[in-house]
Amino acid sequence: MNYLLEILPSLLSGLKMTLGVFFFTIIGSVPLGIIVSLGMKSEYFTIRWLINGYIWVMRGTPLLLQLIFVYYGLGMMGVTFPRFEAAIFAFIINYAAYLAEIFRGGLQSVPRGQYEAAKVLGFTRTQTFFKIILPQVIKIIVPSFGNEVINLVKDTSLVYVIGLGDILRAGNIAASRDVTLIPYLLVGLIYLLMTAIVTVLLRRTEKRLNIWR
Amino acid sequence: MVSMKKKIIVNTIVGLLFIGVVAWISVALNSTAKQSNQTTIQTDEWQRIKQDKQITIGLDDTFVPMGFRDKNGKIIGFDVDLANAVFKTMGIQVKWQPIDWSMKETELNTGNIDAIWNGYTKTAARAKKVAFSNSYHKATQVLVTLKKNNINRFSDMQGKVLGDQTASSGDESFNKYPNILKKYVKDQKVIGYDTFDKAFNDLNAGRIDGLLIDEDYARYYVAHQANPQNYTVTVGGFSVDETAVGFRKSDKQLRQAVNETLAKFKEDGRMSLIEDKWFSN
Repeated sequence: MNYLLEILPSLLSGLKMTLGVFFFTIIGSVPLGIIVSLGMKSEYFTIRWLINGYIWVMRGTPLLLQLIFVYYGLGMMGVTFPRFEAAIFAFIINYAAYLAEIFRGGLQSVPRGQYEAAKVLGFTRTQTFFKIILPQVIKIIVPSFGNEVINLVKDTSLVYVIGLGDILRAGNIAASRDVTLIPYLLVGLIYLLMTAIVTVLLRRTEKRLNIWR
Repeated sequence: MVSMKKKIIVNTIVGLLFIGVVAWISVALNSTAKQSNQTTIQTDEWQRIKQDKQITIGLDDTFVPMGFRDKNGKIIGFDVDLANAVFKTMGIQVKWQPIDWSMKETELNTGNIDAIWNGYTKTAARAKKVAFSNSYHKATQVLVTLKKNNINRFSDMQGKVLGDQTASSGDESFNKYPNILKKYVKDQKVIGYDTFDKAFNDLNAGRIDGLLIDEDYARYYVAHQANPQNYTVTVGGFSVDETAVGFRKSDKQLRQAVNETLAKFKEDGRMSLIEDKWFSN
């Protein structure tokens, strides 16, 4: 018990990094994902091709590789990001690709007839999207969106490769210093706590949205 | 619906933009490829370091006892004390930057760090990418086994499973001199761990029979096990490794300044003071 209290401060400072990556990624990737998913339905084939190519690359290569490329690869080409910004950038463009596919699924599940009905009723295209389509889409995608968010909680541990000290690295340090597995146990518990909070928040959102289902 | 004319115009613009970006990237890639093998910094950075009164040193902060973190998260260790003392004599502050160990030379050559100072062993392969200081510490690779398995010579590892740390200097020697240990171990293969504490866990669990490890770490880890007397440390035929500081090849002035200070430290006993603090049992 004493030992846990001793290593807790260093783990909590690692937790700050984990949470930082998590929140910045969510804030950045949700709007980008929406834009990308709308772009996939563009009437211009060049835009569709570009976006499909982007999603193919982002989902087709490991996030770890993308992190290495954004930080070291771009650094060699003269585009130098600081460590944290590089991690956020890589996470945002990666998660936006996954989220865009989820949003696309949501958009497609709204029947065409609703667009036509809205047109007949005199709604503009912007009004149709924000007042009629988006509220339904949000309800539909909450469960799969939650999946990605929980994945993100754990994926943040990949930032070790560009030298950022997240909670798992803090656990690694304590484990190799004190030659024990207990820090990993504590790190696991903290991850569980984080995903529990995320799960509860998502359930609540889902319940609230279900009022007008 | 968008008119045909508008479609063609937008498609052409986006297409041309895309081709432009691709062309720009390939030109940028080409010009970096021309600069001798992936080195982006080619100038002597000594003036900048002296002016800023700050140098960035990369370390793997899990590397006990050379450079690691205490329970409050402060970076400590033999190399940390030594480097801080060396640069203090020059009026330069050290900024310790944790890095992923497998990326250390890339970090150095892209200029994210100015030196690698963290139990960094001189090897021929590394000498191609970095310039070493004079060596300041010597250690050899040893074999750690469980006493009950009665392994007292390298040849006792016949058909047994060996572990080591991936990309460590021990790993390099193991493959370079197959006659010393490699020819004995099972399938002539070694199991690579990212950190030694995990390898020690596997040794205790019996999934590996021996662990090839730098003797400084071996002493530290054995001393921190619940029952240190349960282990055998075997010194075999591996040559002595020299630990040094890694610099960019272009940083000649920085290397010279560090070399001179290290020599001074050896002479006036400051070096042995720091050694005693971290290596005496």
